[in-house]
Amino acid sequence: MLAEMNGLDLTRQGAQRLRVAVAPEALPTLLNLLEGRAGYLHLSAISCVDWPDRDQFELVYHLWSYETRVLVSAHVFIHRTPGRFVSVYDIHIPAGFFERDIHEMFGVVFEGSPDSRPFILTEWTGPPPMLKAFATEDYVNDFFEWNDYHPQWLEDIEKKGGGLI
Amino acid sequence: MYFGPNHPGIEGNYAIRVRLKGDEVLKAEADGGYLHRGFEKLMEERLWIQNVALVPRICVPDPVPMEETYARAVEMLGGLKVPERAQWIRVMVLEMSRIAAHLFMVGGHAATLGLYTNMFWGVALRELLLDRFEELTGGRIYHMYITPGGVRRDLPDGFLGRLAAVLDEIERRLPDYDDLFFDNAVVVRRTRGIGTLTQAEALAWGVTGPNLRATGLAFDLRHEDPYLVYDRLAFDIPTEREGDALARARVRRAEIRQSIRILRQVIGHLPGITGPVRCPLPNPLAWNLPAGDVYARTESSKGELGFYVVSNGGPKPWRVHVRGPSAMHAVQVLERLCVGARLEDVAQIMFSLDACPPEVDR
Repeated sequence: MLAEMNGLDLTRQGAQRLRVAVAPEALPTLLNLLEGRAGYLHLSAISCVDWPDRDQFELVYHLWSYETRVLVSAHVFIHRTPGRFVSVYDIHIPAGFFERDIHEMFGVVFEGSPDSRPFILTEWTGPPPMLKAFATEDYVNDFFEWNDYHPQWLEDIEKKGGGLI
Repeated sequence: MYFGPNHPGIEGNYAIRVRLKGDEVLKAEADGGYLHRGFEKLMEERLWIQNVALVPRICVPDPVPMEETYARAVEMLGGLKVPERAQWIRVMVLEMSRIAAHLFMVGGHAATLGLYTNMFWGVALRELLLDRFEELTGGRIYHMYITPGGVRRDLPDGFLGRLAAVLDEIERRLPDYDDLFFDNAVVVRRTRGIGTLTQAEALAWGVTGPNLRATGLAFDLRHEDPYLVYDRLAFDIPTEREGDALARARVRRAEIRQSIRILRQVIGHLPGITGPVRCPLPNPLAWNLPAGDVYARTESSKGELGFYVVSNGGPKPWRVHVRGPSAMHAVQVLERLCVGARLEDVAQIMFSLDACPPEVDR
């Protein structure tokens, strides 16, 4: 069936795994085809990978068919700047959550996605934290002041010969 | 009104913003982000082997599938072959964890209805399993027992006999749960028709696991996309048709019995399977996995658990994406099922979905 579509690179990775590399503009068509012709009703996940050296994001759509019992992983590469892609919420409702999550964590904008409001990071003002450029330790050192923790009650205990081990 | 994050009826640190008219919910919005964890980012900073200590913490009630799925993803990337004995032991701890999680969850569900006895019983029975986990792994909740290539150590002497006694005790107590909860007329009236999902809705909304099976679809990854030695074990896939809170609880009740059945088969087989419990690993402190990506999936007690793991050929994961079943159940599904419900049923809808906030806030 997938041979009918141009621009697909198929790799079988076991009896129940199929990897598909697909051009970004062909992804919605692929999802529609898989859903309508082979029962790929279940969007298991959308994963995003940051590849700053290539200036690309890789989006991976994991789809499962209750009919053929094969897991298809469709890989799409998009430009990192501006990082925009089309939503597939109209094909798979679960995409709404994954697109919101990827928008929040990587900054990718999914046009047509139903809800792009912050979910986990409602009080966050920094850059999208799952980007490779975001260094957790540096952020903590810049954002917080380190203090030696030595309260009065601990001093009192130490005077009596006790203290933290 | 904020339902949570500090509320006895909410699971974990989580909130639901509900708009009410009287006690009827007009709109519900899930609100995560209270856990402050960032596992996926942390995993990119740690060696492949170090993440073994991190992954079980993603889900407190059912940590073993996290360990197993991560380890399997690493094994797929590295081309490691898990010895047969270790595969049977992994099935054993997975099913022990499933029973513990279901006991915990059904007890929690009962508590949302004001029936605390069931919760205390569930926690007490779970303790028996936690004792066995402690004996086997040294940890009661976070075992860090499943490592890439196998498991950390073999079973202590006499372990299987003690596990069999625990299973007998759980089985002996299950009728008490029927009397108190599943056949209780008040519970049936409070749970029937609450948070109802049709099978079509469940499939469209990405529902998996017991919640999907409660709508009549006999689908289980252990059967349909088998891993470890599940294809050599006999067990049924319990289903219900109604798709409501009661049906979801009944599926879990039936799954406890199926897990006991699986564990008894493991107890029967395991003594006859000898050999190592893990394959040789390279120096874990200087271990580069080949570049590539894999998606490993497990049927956890809550549904489909997936780990998408990417290696760039280095000593640490380049990317780990954890797809917990609650990514669906605790957000879009919960929001939809709460609409039209009474405020007093919001907590039981969440518990009946077995939503685990750390799987969302990861």
